Amino acid sequence: MNKLKKSLALIATLAIASTAFYACGDSSSTADSSSSTPDSSSSEESSDASSEESSEESSETEESSEAEAVENKVPETGDKLSILCWTGDDVEKMIENFTANTDYTAEQVEYVNVGSKGQEAREQYANYFAGDEDVDLFVLEADWILDYINNDEYTAPLSDLGFTDADFDGCYDYTVSIGTDNNGVLKAASWQATPGGYVYRTDLAEQYLGAKTPEEMQEFVKDWDTFTATAKKLQDDGHKIAMADTLAGMWQVWQYNRDNAWLDADNKLVVDDYCKTYAELAKDYYTNGYVTTEDAWTDGWYQIGQDDSTMGYFFCTWCLGAGSMLSNAEGGEAGPTFGKYNITAGPSGWAWGGSWLALSPKADNGTIARDFIKYFTVDTATAKDYALFKSEFVNNPDVMKEIVDEGSNKNALLGGQDQFSILYESAANIDMDGKITAFDSQIKDAFNTAVTKYAKGEIASYDEMITEFKTNAAKIEGITVE
Amino acid sequence: MATAAQRRIKSVSYAKYGYIFILPFFVVYFIFSFWPLIQTFILAFSENGSRTPELIGFDNFKTILAKPAENDFKAMGIHNSFWNGMKNTLIIWFGNFLPQIALSLLLAVWFTDLRVKMPGKGFFKVVMYMPNIITAASVAGLFLSLFGDSAYSVINTLLRSGEGEEALKLISGCWSSRILVMFIQVWMWFGNTMIMLMSGIQGINESLFEAAEIDGANATQTFWRITFPLLKTIMVYTLLTSMIGGLQMFDIPYMLHTGMVVNDYIKTVAVFIYEMFHNNFAKPSFGYSGAASVILFVITSILGALVFYVQRDKDAIERKKKQKQAAKEWKRKQKRGGGFSI
Repeated sequence: MNKLKKSLALIATLAIASTAFYACGDSSSTADSSSSTPDSSSSEESSDASSEESSEESSETEESSEAEAVENKVPETGDKLSILCWTGDDVEKMIENFTANTDYTAEQVEYVNVGSKGQEAREQYANYFAGDEDVDLFVLEADWILDYINNDEYTAPLSDLGFTDADFDGCYDYTVSIGTDNNGVLKAASWQATPGGYVYRTDLAEQYLGAKTPEEMQEFVKDWDTFTATAKKLQDDGHKIAMADTLAGMWQVWQYNRDNAWLDADNKLVVDDYCKTYAELAKDYYTNGYVTTEDAWTDGWYQIGQDDSTMGYFFCTWCLGAGSMLSNAEGGEAGPTFGKYNITAGPSGWAWGGSWLALSPKADNGTIARDFIKYFTVDTATAKDYALFKSEFVNNPDVMKEIVDEGSNKNALLGGQDQFSILYESAANIDMDGKITAFDSQIKDAFNTAVTKYAKGEIASYDEMITEFKTNAAKIEGITVE
Repeated sequence: MATAAQRRIKSVSYAKYGYIFILPFFVVYFIFSFWPLIQTFILAFSENGSRTPELIGFDNFKTILAKPAENDFKAMGIHNSFWNGMKNTLIIWFGNFLPQIALSLLLAVWFTDLRVKMPGKGFFKVVMYMPNIITAASVAGLFLSLFGDSAYSVINTLLRSGEGEEALKLISGCWSSRILVMFIQVWMWFGNTMIMLMSGIQGINESLFEAAEIDGANATQTFWRITFPLLKTIMVYTLLTSMIGGLQMFDIPYMLHTGMVVNDYIKTVAVFIYEMFHNNFAKPSFGYSGAASVILFVITSILGALVFYVQRDKDAIERKKKQKQAAKEWKRKQKRGGGFSI
């Protein structure tokens, strides 16, 4: 009896104490990674040795017939493909489409929700990479992709899966250049391009400006001078209506007008004429009512789309689908402005965000991983299927051209207009080569905070604004400010 | 003669079970509280921009505390945001503590006063405590929709008469946002403070109040001559806990904003600490965060000591001093007596 009591007490104590160690289970993962290192090196050796032999995996795929086909070096030890992302919006749809059109079953591909967004997602990723959970592919966002693809601990080259750079010739160049690391190695592939346009109220455009079609409306917004002139005309005519939705929306477009990256080769902050041009424009717009005073991503942002507060929004591909931002701005299907919007190219070409698929060095499902990436980026037939399936602007100009020519896509939110026909033209103009840096999201935050204060009049002069921007940007570790 | 069983019982010590039972707490404490505390001090002396930082000495403290050079933007950025945070923290804390303690004290006196016959005391106590159990995130969300910058927020809908009239920007304004945070903090915490003070008042001997009443003291006199002086200890406790909590104020200031960045006017030191190591995933500034935490720790300690010093029991100290002196005197006398003892 006494022994029983003792052992029970001991077990209870141990059980409580053991909870203290929960989530500290790194020891097994370090053992894992150390054991996987010789693994990968041996597979490299074997791939060198067997370069003449055709492997079973690559013989299944089309590329095997081509002479320059590279072998899939990723092991096949895993039982299912795990794809990490912070939102299921894309990945779940992709898996649904992928498993419907291939022999793979839903059990073989798994979406792992890291359950947070932005910077938090990155911490979650770090936890996954450090732990011993299964990670094959993961999704990266434009704002912070560079940190990952330039770190070999986090990403493996796509050539490990047997891809060559030529495989992605059909994709938009800017997506490929963003997915390429500093050494010119392709590390991530995007399944989407995210060009944006100007989405405007057709009824108000006709009433106030006399523009009956998107082509006629484009004449009123064809460049920034004209855009400003139109905004001024609306105010002068006595209409209390803005042309742009928010300062944040204008910024999304304007950041694509930059000539330089935020940082030069030595990671030194570049403050050029662009900053002044944009800051003055923002102030001008804000004080004159050319832009509303709402904040993006708030209820007010959607409200202005339902009363007559704004002529339109700057929206990109992923803002235009069912249940997206445009849908919210119209108040849903029963909303007051449902279907009353059309899209035009707007004053300048731009894109917003975008997501890339990267390969983890810990990946253990080579064939499925390869087929999955290939399905959405390389193979035009399946990419087209997905484009129509999710109303997605896929990362392939030829596919998009085909869809535009067929004219089968009709967006009810845009009154039946095909947004792809407009966005297809804009996408060709996006040039981001060498213009993004690993610190962009923070630098942009620092810049926009200063510009917003300047526009609202909280900062009196442009010089003070630049000082504020510089001091805030200088806090970012890794860049220099002079 | 004792039997074998009796001997065994004598030798069995049950104390070790006690130790085993309290062991889990200490294990958890050392791993999750004590080690992080030490780690914070280590990080304060470590470099920035790395996840495995090396020690660099006092540089972080120098950057935060010393006046930066004219065009050293980095030092200026860190120095300015820390002191901006410190300023905001103190402003918001004072603006929150003073009205809070006044309100709580008033309510506590009313609720405990035997002469005030208020119906539904229990109900009011519960209702007043209620804001404290709502999570800060919900409170921030609530106040954002009530006092938001948007032309469609509750306050702007009520106040704006015409279409094009400008919307009030309370959330992003300087003093309006600070006052909002103060108000939220008061609203969330006055119930808690009130309960604390009530227990303090109830701890005062009832006969003192009765005696005062018999002697013809009015309510004001009773409060200032009896309640307030005897409540000192609990007031010091409230002041201390509020100060420690106030200096670490984080949740409401961090969440009360629309748009992507935290409002500069309500950015507290705790928000500064969080942002420094959190905003830059690839190159976190653990050093500055750690140094700021240590500075905050030192300030809290100093203020705490100060409170104790001001509130110390002077009579007791005086008594002790006299006692000591008397003891010395006695000893001296003994010695002068040449060691003779009777």
